Amino acid sequence: MTAQHTILLVGESNVGKTHYGAQFLKRLMVKACSLKMSGAPTNLEAFSTALSCLTEGKATDHTPASTYVESVWPIADDLGRVAELVWPDYGGEQVRNLVTQRRIPAAWRERVLVATDWVLLIRLHSLRSEDDLFSRPLESFAGAEGVEESAVYEPSDQARTIELLQMLLYLAQFHLDRPLNKPRLTILLSCWDELGTTDLPANLLASRLPMLWSFVRSNWMAPTVMGLSALERALSKTDTDQDYAIRGPEEFGYVVLSDGTQSPDITLPVQRLMASEL
Amino acid sequence: MERCPHPNCFADDNTTCTLGHIKLESCPEWRGISQAAAIPPSDSSEMLLPWSGLAMGEHDLAFISGRVKPITIGIVGPESAGKTTILGAFYLLLGRGGLTSDEASFSSSYTLAGWEAVATCLRWKPGQSPHFPPHTPSRAARAPGMLHLGFRRQDGSLRDVVFADAPGEWFQKWAINEQAADAEGARWIARHADVTLLIADRQALAGPKMGTARNNFQLLAQRAVAESHGRRLALVWTKGDVEVAPAMEAQIKSALATKASSVPEFTVSVYPRGELDPAEGFRELFNWILSTKRAAVNLPMTEASGHDPLFRFGRR
Repeated sequence: MTAQHTILLVGESNVGKTHYGAQFLKRLMVKACSLKMSGAPTNLEAFSTALSCLTEGKATDHTPASTYVESVWPIADDLGRVAELVWPDYGGEQVRNLVTQRRIPAAWRERVLVATDWVLLIRLHSLRSEDDLFSRPLESFAGAEGVEESAVYEPSDQARTIELLQMLLYLAQFHLDRPLNKPRLTILLSCWDELGTTDLPANLLASRLPMLWSFVRSNWMAPTVMGLSALERALSKTDTDQDYAIRGPEEFGYVVLSDGTQSPDITLPVQRLMASEL
Repeated sequence: MERCPHPNCFADDNTTCTLGHIKLESCPEWRGISQAAAIPPSDSSEMLLPWSGLAMGEHDLAFISGRVKPITIGIVGPESAGKTTILGAFYLLLGRGGLTSDEASFSSSYTLAGWEAVATCLRWKPGQSPHFPPHTPSRAARAPGMLHLGFRRQDGSLRDVVFADAPGEWFQKWAINEQAADAEGARWIARHADVTLLIADRQALAGPKMGTARNNFQLLAQRAVAESHGRRLALVWTKGDVEVAPAMEAQIKSALATKASSVPEFTVSVYPRGELDPAEGFRELFNWILSTKRAAVNLPMTEASGHDPLFRFGRR
């Protein structure tokens, strides 16, 4: 029987979901990775634009907010294990809306219920780092009076991500009495090339978002953190990158595994999920 | 949207039905009004969550108390003593990883928006330096706003902590008259708090009205000690950077000395004091709070004839 891995790929807008999907697909097509396509994918519409942009060495446009397309890819690993990978592509605003509007569309509820593996994409570079009085102490403290109190404030990126995971856990009907074994959680720190770091991915996450890391470690048995650079370099939407056009996008992109080793095979995060028992 | 007639249901306020009906029209309580008013819910395909993220009220506590009764922390002190600032500082430290360790890792919080609201003033924002949180409004509420944090301990068990953030006026009225009509919230804290933090405001105790401040503290301490019934109590000096006359300090301490066991003392300040990191005082206080254990229940030993514990007491 074919195991079906349905991946819940969660990421806000601009974390690189579509680029990762397109690069993943390209790797499968040219068979330059540990996973292989064992049939023909159902529907590649969602990635066709992205694929043709990358072939020219250009970045793709933002996925429209209302889009949600799933594409089913039959894959097999080196040991002959086969699986169907359900890869979604959607506008990241949907994820942010879940947290801010606190109303869960029925479609999202079903996606969460059927997902076997969760992959959370976080782009550390685009998160705000906020100074507070512990990181930058005060010499004199202004009293509450005289300060125009604005009723609106934006929750921190860290709190928003934790709330998102809490909401997903609730929707998936998991209770946290014991740390969770399933669904397996993989956190991909996307656009790793922007960060310019040599830290291990998990250590970097722990130092940048310590509360989120504590939350994840407390509620999952074995969360995995990896770095991902789907494109390896920043691409422009208008100008062609010569190297990309000549060598093809499959020559670019890498993952940084939990132990810090870098590998050009960006399908490894999913291959690891397949290798562990369902 | 109409309000549900069920007293504990806030389905009109963006949360799920308290009886657990995902579709509101299938809830008998809700049908009662929707037939009269005949207003269909806005979009029944969308699902709501049982928590709103904001500070919780008395009835919302049921959602986190399902597992085990959370440990309730009552912060008792006069107004503008720094009660909300303590909470804001806790949250900021938690966000920086300053409060979690291998012994207690952060596991959940169903009031993240509420925490963000108290901490937002203590952050640097463009063109605005951190300032003290605004006055906590005292409404005619019967219970304080509560902020929740869940921790997982090393053995894998969970521990929920709930901080009650109440306006200072409640306590001032309660200190004078235990039965004061508008001190219902203070009585709630006295009844439910497993840990009471009694706040001594050093700025007020060194200020022009220090006599009144001392007197108010003594009254409040007397009340809090009398109501604590052996539960944990700590004296927390806020605005620790302010110098207070030693005689005044002695007076404040002696107000608590009537209690048989010694009361632990903590000093917190948002300013660095000399070499001392401001985070240190808050961290010490938080670790003490987290070490709270509820007194164990002793189950009566009975001679049971059968194996089924259900019949332990019933069978003759």
